[in-house]
Amino acid sequence: MNPLLEQFLSESREALQGIGEKLMQLEKEPASTDLMIELFRYVHTLKGNSGLFDLPELTRVLHAGEDLMDAVRNGQVAYSSVLADRLLDAMDFVGMLCDEIETHERIDIKHVNDSVRLAETLRQLIGTPPPTEAPSPVSAPVEAPSAPSAVGNSGPPLPLADIPEETRLEAYRAGSLHWLAYSPVEECFFQGDDPFYQVRHTPGILWGSISARTAWPKLAELDPYSCVLDFTLLSSAPRDELEEYYRYVPDQIRITAVPAQFLILPQGDPNGGPVYEDFVADAIALLHAGNMAGLTRAARSMLELSNPDLWFSSALRWLLTAIECEPGNSVVQQTILASLRTLTPPVWHEIGDISDNGGASEAVNGTTVPSPAAIPVPLSPEMAAIIGAQREILSLPDSVGWQNGRIKGVAAALSGCLHATGAGGAIAGLEAALAKALDRESAAPLLLWLDGFFAPTVADTPDRPEQTAQSEQGDATDTAGQSSPTPVLPQPTYADVKFGRRAEDTFAGPKSIKVDQVKIDRLMNLIGEMVVAKNALPYLAGRAETVFGVRDLSREIKSQYAVINRIAEEMQDSIMQVRMMPVSFVFQRFPRLVRDISNKLGKEINLVLEGEETEADKNIVESLGDPLVHIVRNSLDHGIETPDVRKKCGKPAAGTLVIRASQESDRVVIEIRDDGKGIDPDVIKRKAYEKGVISEEQLERISDQDAVNLVFAAGFSTAEVVSDLSGRGVGMDVVRTAIEKVNGTIRLESEKGKGTRLSLSLPLSMAVSNVMIVESNRQIFGVPMDSVIETVRVPRADIRTIKKSLTTVLRGRIVPLKPLNSLLGLNVPPKANDEDELAVLVVNIGGEPAGIMVDDFHETVDIILKPMTGVLAGLSAYSGSALLGDGSVLMVLDIKEII
Amino acid sequence: MTITFKKDRAVFSDMAGGEDAEGLLEWLQKYPNGKMDLSACTHLHPANLQVVMAAKRQITTAPKDKQLAGWIASALKP
Repeated sequence: MNPLLEQFLSESREALQGIGEKLMQLEKEPASTDLMIELFRYVHTLKGNSGLFDLPELTRVLHAGEDLMDAVRNGQVAYSSVLADRLLDAMDFVGMLCDEIETHERIDIKHVNDSVRLAETLRQLIGTPPPTEAPSPVSAPVEAPSAPSAVGNSGPPLPLADIPEETRLEAYRAGSLHWLAYSPVEECFFQGDDPFYQVRHTPGILWGSISARTAWPKLAELDPYSCVLDFTLLSSAPRDELEEYYRYVPDQIRITAVPAQFLILPQGDPNGGPVYEDFVADAIALLHAGNMAGLTRAARSMLELSNPDLWFSSALRWLLTAIECEPGNSVVQQTILASLRTLTPPVWHEIGDISDNGGASEAVNGTTVPSPAAIPVPLSPEMAAIIGAQREILSLPDSVGWQNGRIKGVAAALSGCLHATGAGGAIAGLEAALAKALDRESAAPLLLWLDGFFAPTVADTPDRPEQTAQSEQGDATDTAGQSSPTPVLPQPTYADVKFGRRAEDTFAGPKSIKVDQVKIDRLMNLIGEMVVAKNALPYLAGRAETVFGVRDLSREIKSQYAVINRIAEEMQDSIMQVRMMPVSFVFQRFPRLVRDISNKLGKEINLVLEGEETEADKNIVESLGDPLVHIVRNSLDHGIETPDVRKKCGKPAAGTLVIRASQESDRVVIEIRDDGKGIDPDVIKRKAYEKGVISEEQLERISDQDAVNLVFAAGFSTAEVVSDLSGRGVGMDVVRTAIEKVNGTIRLESEKGKGTRLSLSLPLSMAVSNVMIVESNRQIFGVPMDSVIETVRVPRADIRTIKKSLTTVLRGRIVPLKPLNSLLGLNVPPKANDEDELAVLVVNIGGEPAGIMVDDFHETVDIILKPMTGVLAGLSAYSGSALLGDGSVLMVLDIKEII
Repeated sequence: MTITFKKDRAVFSDMAGGEDAEGLLEWLQKYPNGKMDLSACTHLHPANLQVVMAAKRQITTAPKDKQLAGWIASALKP
C-alpha cells in the first residue's frame, strides 16, 4: 500500500471518530454552532482527502454528508436525531469501506448501490434534489422505460427491433445480455466526462445508439455544452462488470437484463405464400418428433430457396440459430414456427404475459412489476438444481399424452420451491401460468414464467426501488421537507441494513498509535538511567572481589550484569527505533521551496532528492530543517546561474540540485550538491579580509580550501546586495552552529565554475554518546570519541618548543600540543609516567590534528549527556555532564571551545 | 484543432475535443450550407456530436471507424 493511502486511512479513522464524538456532543447541545462547524470541517476534510484516490463510492457518500453539514451549518436545515442517525450510518459505511481498502486496497463494486442510497438519504434531509440529478435527467431514465409499457403489450417493451438482425443474431448467441440506458447529467462535460467515449468502450458492447432528450433548438440557441444525449446499448458483459465500469454514475445508468429470446424478431418483406404452410406443418411435426437434425436440414434447404430479404427467411435464420444455441428449448422453436405460420413476429412478452403476476416481460419493461413477483430469490445450489430439472422437463417436446400430468408435476415442484424460499406470494403467478399451460396443453407458458421468475436473475435491483416506491408513495411523508421529490426516490425499505462498526462489533484496532513525544522522552530518560544503574554492577563486582574478597560472588554479579546489559541495550535500541523518522520529513518541503525560489529568480532547477527513506532520531531530523533551507537557498541564489549564463558556459540551461541522504555506520550524511558557479576562493579571501574576519598575514597564507570554508565564519557575506533570500551574512554561520549543536560536522567543497558540495554528517541519535575518560590533575574528564583520533605516549625528549608553543612530530606531521591543565586554567604541569612519557590525546579540530597533554587515559563509556543548566550553562568549556556507574559526575569537554 | 474549416466543409480528424464544439457551432452558423467530412475522425466529444446532430447538415463522408460510424448513424437517424 502506498504511504499516501496509508496516511489517508489513518487520518480517516481519526476523522470518523471525531465525527462520531461531535455528533454525540451535538445530541446534548443541538444548538452549538461551534460543534456544527467542527463537524462540517471533519466531513469536509475527509471528503477532500478521499478525492485524491479512486474511491467514488466513498467520495459520493462524503460529498452528500458535506452538503448536508453545510446546509446545517448555514441554518437551512435544523439538527435532528434523524440527521445524526443517517450521518452515523453513512460514517459507519465509510469506516467499513476504509477497512475494505486496508485489506483489499480497493472497494468492491457491490457497495455502489449502498453508497448511492446513503448519499440520497443524506440529501433528502437537505430537502433539495441532488445536484447530479437535475430534474430532466432524473425523469428521463425513470420515464423512458415506462413509455413502452404505457403503449401496452402490443409493442416490444424495448426497441430491440432497431438493432440490425446480424447484431441480434450475434447477441443471441452470446446469451446473457444487458440493456443499458445511460442518461448523463447535463453538466457532465464540465466535470471532464466524455460519456460518448465511455459508452463506446463499454465492456462487451454489441450495439448502441444515441438519441437526444429534447428536440434540437435553432443553432443560434444551442448550448453544445449542456448534455442532452441519451445512450442506449446492448452488452454481453456480466452485470457486475457493467456496474463496475459505470461505478462513477450509478444514478445515471439503468441496466436491464434481456432474455436472449427477446431478440428473436424476424424482419423483412412479409411476402409469403402457401408453400410455407407446408413447411411449417412439416417442421412442427419434426420438432414434436424431436428430430432436430431433420428440422435443421429442412430449414436450411428452405432458406436456400428463399429470397434472403424476406421476412420468412429472417425467421428461418432465427430458427436455425435457436436450434444451434438452444437445442433443448422446444418452446422457442415452437414459438418461431408458430410465428412463421402467421407471419407475425413472435410476441415474447405476451407469451410471458400468460401470468399476470410476474413473468419475463416485467424483467424487461421494468416498471410494471407488481409487487412480490420479481423479487429475486437467492437460490441455494440445491434449489437451483431442482429448478434446472423442472426447466429441462418443460423443454421436452409437448406432443405426448401425459403432457398435462407432467406440467402439473412441475408446477407442484415449483410451488414447493416458492414456499421454501419464502416467495409464497408468487404462487398466484405460477398458478395462472399453470392454468394457461393446461388450457393450451403446452409447457411454453409455464417455462416462460419459470425463466422470468428464476432464471437470469432478471428482476434487477435498480428496478426494485421504483416499484417499492410506487407502492409506498402514500406513506413517503416521513421525510419532512421533501416537497416534491423528483419522481421516485428509493425509500429506505432497507433501513435496517447497517454497516458494522457498532459498539458490539469486533473492532480491529489500528496498527499504529500516536504517542505524545513527552512520553517517549520520559522512556528515553528512564532507559538512560537504567544504563547508568547497570554500569554500577561491574564496580560492585570489583568491590566484592577486592574489598570483601568473595571471588565467586564477583563472578556471579558479572554474569548477571551481562544479561542485564544485553536487555538494556536491546531496550535502548527499541526506544531509539521509536524515535527514528525518515529524513523525507524534512525533504518534502524542498520541491515546493525550490520551485518558488527558482520562479522568483528566473532560474531553471532540477531538484533531485535521494535516500529520503534514511532514518535518524527525531531531534536530529528536526534540527536539519532550518540549516537545509539556508543551504538550499544559498545554492539557488548564489550557486546556480541563470539559464543564459549557464548556456554561455556550456552547461545545460537547467541547473541540478541534488540533496542526498545516506547512512554511514552510525551517522547520517546529507549531501547538497549543485552544478552552479562554485565559490571563488580569491573573492572569499578578499571579502574576509575586508570584513576583518582574517588578518593580512592569514590572507597571504590561507589555502583555497580553507578560504572556501571561511563562509562559515560569523558575519561573512560575499553578496553585494542583500536580497530577501540570502546575503545577510548570517546564513552559513547559523547553519554551522545548528549542525554542531547536534554534534554534527559540516564540510564544504567547491570548484570554481563546476559547483559546490556541502556534506553534513550527523549522529543517528544523540541520546547516548561514547566518550573517553581522561585524567588530569587528579580529576577525570570526558572527551567525545567523535573527535578523538588516537592516544599516544610521547617521550618528553620529542617535544619541542616553537615560538612558545609545544609541538611534536607524529608520523611526519607537526602536531601542536596543549596541556589540558593550562587550557582549563590550572597551573599544574602534566605528569609523565615512569618512562618519562607524556600522555597525548590527539583530537581532530576542524580537520586538523591537535594534541592535548593529559596525565592518564581511562576507558571509554557510553553516557547520556545532559546539557549544563542554570549558571553552569554559561561555561562553554563543557558540553555537558553525565553520571557514571559508581555515582561520580563526569564533565564532558567541548574540545572545539577550549582550544 | 482537430476540425479544419474549409470553404464548404468542416473536416474532422483524429479526436475532436470538447473545446472544438464552439468553433464548429460558429462556423455552421456562418455557413448555412457547410457540410461535414468525418472520414478521418476517430472520436468526437459529445459536445461536438450535439452540434452535428442539431445542425442536421449533410455528412459528406462517414467515419472510416466502423463503430463510430454506427453510433453517428444512430444519432442522426430521424
